[in-house]
Amino acid sequence: MLAWVADAELLALSLGLTLALAYYLGRYMVHLIRGTPRPFEGSIARIENFVFRLAGIDPKRSMNWKEYVVALILLDAVFAIFTFAVLGLQGWLPGDPRGFGPFSWDLNFNTTSSFITNTNLQHYAGDQSLTVTSELVLMLNQFVAPASAIAVGLAFLRPFIKKGAGLGNFYVDFVRSMFTILLPIAFVSAILLMAIGIPQTLNGTLTTGLIGGGSQTFVVGPVAGFDAIMELGQNGGGYYGSNLASPFANPNGLSELIFLVLMLVIPLAFIFAYGELVGRGRGRALMVAVLAPFLALLAYAVTTTSGPVGLETRFGGFGSVLFQFFSISSDTGATNAVLSGLSPRTGASLFTFMFVQAIPGGSGVGFMTLVIYAFLTLFMVGLMVGKTPEFLGMKISGWDVKLAVLTFVVHPLMILVPAAIAYSTGNVTAILGAHSGAAGFTQVFYEYTSASANNGSDYLGTLANTPFWNVSTGIVMLVGRYVPILLMMGIAGSFATKDRRDTPEPIKTDGWPFTVTLIGVTFVLTALAFLPFLILGIFG
Amino acid sequence: MTQAKSNGSGFGRREIEKALVASIRKLDPTYLLRTNIIMLIVEVTAVITGAMAIDPAAFHGLTTQPVWIYVALTVILLLTVWFATLAESISEVQGEARVDSLRRLEQDVQARKVVDGNIVVVPSKSLLPGDVVRLRPPEIVPRDGVVLEGTAYLDESLMTGESAPVVKKVGDSLIGGTTVTSDALVMRIVAESGRSYLDDMIKLVEGAQRPRSPNEISLNLLLIGLTGIFVLVVGTFLVLADSLGYIVDLAILLSFLVALMPTTVGGLLPAIGIAGITRVGRANVVAKSGKAVEAAGDVDTLILDKTGTITQGQRSVKRFVPLEGFTEADVAQAAFVASALDRTPEGRSVVEVATSLGQSLPLTPRILGGKAIEFSAETRLSGVELLSSFGSNPTRRPPLPTVAPEIAQGPVWKQLVEFEGSQKPERILKGAVDAVLPTASQVNKAELLWKSQEISKQGGTPLAVAVGPRIIGLIDLRDQLKPGIKGRLAAVQSTGIRTVMVTGDTEITARVIAAEAGISDVIAQAKPADKLTRVKQEQGLAHVVGVEGDGTNDAPALAKADVGIAMNSGTAAAREAANMIDLDSDPSKVTKVVETGKELLMTRGAITTFSVTNDVSKYFAIFPAMLPASAAAQKLNILQLHSPVTAILATMIFNAAVIPALIPLAFRGVKFRPEIPERTFIRNMLVYGLGGAVLPFIAIKGIDIVLTWVIH
Repeated sequence: MLAWVADAELLALSLGLTLALAYYLGRYMVHLIRGTPRPFEGSIARIENFVFRLAGIDPKRSMNWKEYVVALILLDAVFAIFTFAVLGLQGWLPGDPRGFGPFSWDLNFNTTSSFITNTNLQHYAGDQSLTVTSELVLMLNQFVAPASAIAVGLAFLRPFIKKGAGLGNFYVDFVRSMFTILLPIAFVSAILLMAIGIPQTLNGTLTTGLIGGGSQTFVVGPVAGFDAIMELGQNGGGYYGSNLASPFANPNGLSELIFLVLMLVIPLAFIFAYGELVGRGRGRALMVAVLAPFLALLAYAVTTTSGPVGLETRFGGFGSVLFQFFSISSDTGATNAVLSGLSPRTGASLFTFMFVQAIPGGSGVGFMTLVIYAFLTLFMVGLMVGKTPEFLGMKISGWDVKLAVLTFVVHPLMILVPAAIAYSTGNVTAILGAHSGAAGFTQVFYEYTSASANNGSDYLGTLANTPFWNVSTGIVMLVGRYVPILLMMGIAGSFATKDRRDTPEPIKTDGWPFTVTLIGVTFVLTALAFLPFLILGIFG
Repeated sequence: MTQAKSNGSGFGRREIEKALVASIRKLDPTYLLRTNIIMLIVEVTAVITGAMAIDPAAFHGLTTQPVWIYVALTVILLLTVWFATLAESISEVQGEARVDSLRRLEQDVQARKVVDGNIVVVPSKSLLPGDVVRLRPPEIVPRDGVVLEGTAYLDESLMTGESAPVVKKVGDSLIGGTTVTSDALVMRIVAESGRSYLDDMIKLVEGAQRPRSPNEISLNLLLIGLTGIFVLVVGTFLVLADSLGYIVDLAILLSFLVALMPTTVGGLLPAIGIAGITRVGRANVVAKSGKAVEAAGDVDTLILDKTGTITQGQRSVKRFVPLEGFTEADVAQAAFVASALDRTPEGRSVVEVATSLGQSLPLTPRILGGKAIEFSAETRLSGVELLSSFGSNPTRRPPLPTVAPEIAQGPVWKQLVEFEGSQKPERILKGAVDAVLPTASQVNKAELLWKSQEISKQGGTPLAVAVGPRIIGLIDLRDQLKPGIKGRLAAVQSTGIRTVMVTGDTEITARVIAAEAGISDVIAQAKPADKLTRVKQEQGLAHVVGVEGDGTNDAPALAKADVGIAMNSGTAAAREAANMIDLDSDPSKVTKVVETGKELLMTRGAITTFSVTNDVSKYFAIFPAMLPASAAAQKLNILQLHSPVTAILATMIFNAAVIPALIPLAFRGVKFRPEIPERTFIRNMLVYGLGGAVLPFIAIKGIDIVLTWVIH
């Protein structure tokens, strides 16, 4: 009885705190989306403008959706090439006293793809194969990848304001996401985590490190800082091989709470920002469409007991499950327990988060996916009221439907086809043995699901460090990241040119019928596509 | 086939044969490739199961069932495709039958054609450009043309919305369908007989050439996307299940695919579209494109002409307004007498209202022997002239009729009695105030003008009534609302459609009538260009605009509007510009067209939703049958179907049978109801969404029980 109360308290506290912080962050994002003055606008703008001048960015230049996506891909490519070079030259670069040597090309491709796409799937053990320099470069990616995703999310919301509002400037959004969202929150959280007692190697360079760039902060406080950005940016790549199950990384209940909040705060803030832009009722409708399935899946998961093998015993069964839920639902992929210790129902719930990618999904991208679901739902059932379906007063055209449908084809395509190839080419047998059965299938299926969803948690780990697995999951991560972004930004570009009607919506996007239908359509479509594979695997 | 009969066009043996032949022909894979990818995939699965039936050995490792199962599945799958092509063919044949019956309804009037100086009466259809036609009241201008001789007033209210008659002189153009109200003229026909739009409709109902409407294209993309995902799922499932050591039967797997694919809506989509056009046709409206019917459902702003759409276009008496010294009864009596010989609708209305007020004064001998003054464009008044030559000896005139006791013998009667005793020519008139005023000597001019202005302000047209030199009062003429129009407007308004009334009347008059009809938005004193301006303005605000009209002036607005409905009586230019033509020339039918458009979209949405939610129950039925070795899969067998074989056959039979079962719904359409869209949504979601998830459970279980009984 008492355990139930404590569990409910933990849930209420973590969710409540996350929502409260997400609300304020969402309001701040509205400033970034609209370009209205933020708190301390003068001082922040001075620093930003300095950065813009230095980088030769014209902050007033608005991009169309193609330019925006090209800018995103170019910037990510620069960081990816840099990362690839550093990992490939590890051993020749200074700071490799233990003689790890360079990454093989395939592991390098996989790792670079993994970190630039915000996935953090790791086919290596960090402390066993990475030099400090390499760790730093990967940490840099842990800022770049979420900053890119937040920028895209901000741009995606702009067309909702009014016709011809434009998508904004990617570089401006990127810099602002990095310097005014990720860095300050990561910094404050890192301080808090230090105060709690996460081990530090403080050496006094903390304050100077902040202004020049993100990485310097974490040189001085590697664990606390790494942990903070790992959760906040939905990265999930752990400092320790055992991720957050390590008592050094996650010493007590308070640190656990901080991690929980950090994981979901940015994804949920996007929904609040949406609500501030297009009406709080509409924001509420989407929030319910996210939280209701989240809680329902949680309830479903705890109907069976997970563990005790492989669980983080300090936090108990519920604490572990809750952490997994926050982590996987936000596509963070950080873990505090061994996945195989979880019950099939918990596992199925985690799979569901990764299939849907929008409960609430990763920063920016998760929200965008949610909007596409809303949009497709309105199209599918909207005709029933006798009008061409519309979303926020904008008519849904054939082009929009085409892009939305393609967005949803990408995910099953990137999960199922590689899995089928892995089996039929003998690559599953190569790493899991001849008779891995349903358990083996679950691991393979999880691997590609996690890669395509840019989640990053996995069962295979270093086992998958073979050319086939490295290359296939690398491609899946890249496609799973950039193709949906491209398609969804295409829809945003189409929204940006659409006329808005002031007449009442045929199906109100702020009412319960819409929310219920949205949840229903999302789950029916997800189940239709993926249930057979859960039956082959996790339920098998 | 009761449904088909109910449209009145008949669906006899010949039509059935025609539909059957066409449906077989449509099974051609190349036709399906062009028109219906979903059904093409079903056909391909039928071919594969057929091959499995013929040579199971060729599918080594992919067969688990006896051959008869494959034969049965092949038949069911082929039936599924055939049901879909049959639905399309029936709708086409129905549409064609409709076109034939529409041809008969084409407007035709008799025209007095001048041939070698003689007049020959011919049907207007036979007229050619260059023909000369004579016109007099109340004839209808048979076709667009120009005036050769004479001057006349024409009622163009149905065309232009202008309720006052317009004068036409030599060289002016005449609009076909307008009515001559006074005088006479000679015209020359310039326009060709326009009937090509019926040919447009024939093309529309012939599926192959039918261009898909935007919504249909989007919906098709969604359905193809869903199908693509399911093909992907089933294809990889085969590989993965095989890798895990499960034996999967290819025919069952393909059945699973077909069950998941949105075959119901995919099969009925073409039929729904054609049926929508046919339903519009049933209201005697020819749609020139499917897009127009669809757009009609999207209309959120209707721009309506006042005259002919909202009002009847015939003015009738609202009340009688006396001048100082007279009573209402006096005005009624005077008006009655002035209209006694008047055959115009206004005159008949005066007689009717005066009679109903009990003021039908008996006609004195001098009136009966008087001369009717007919309304003309120049005089703008009408009435009776008491001739001086009548019975030159007053004492020998017939006696005065007795006045019924309930009729007050007031000043009007006294005046008439006075006239009987005199020889002087006198006139009893009613007409435009400024036309009657100069004929009168005894009148308070200021009072008359003030009271006539008051009538105008309330939306009426004032007519002065004079008995001899004295003006008695005014008739307040009003344009009457069409019966039922208020309810019809309220019905479309309840779904969020805004209505705008266009009229040539003054702002005040227009507002009064608009208020009566429940319209808040008015364009008064409208010039022809105003309609177009308003259409553009509304479209600029992302509104979907519906317009009706028939004058040449309307053509630009009709062309620009998303839905433009031209009256068949209208000009060729208007008919050319519009995307729908109303053969009955009843402009108020626009609300009916909007409802039909909505029904078309609702039907598409409902069957799509039904088709997708069906999958939920089909999943539970067929998946356990596909993986009999999996304990987890067996947990899904909540229906406790008898065996994998009966489960698959039952599901596939249901899947095929649901197409013909829904043909009536596809043709009839989901009923439009005047209510807020939110309510429509919730109801349809419960019926077609939730119903779609539950119904197959019952149906499949039922078929399973029957199959079990048949097989064993």
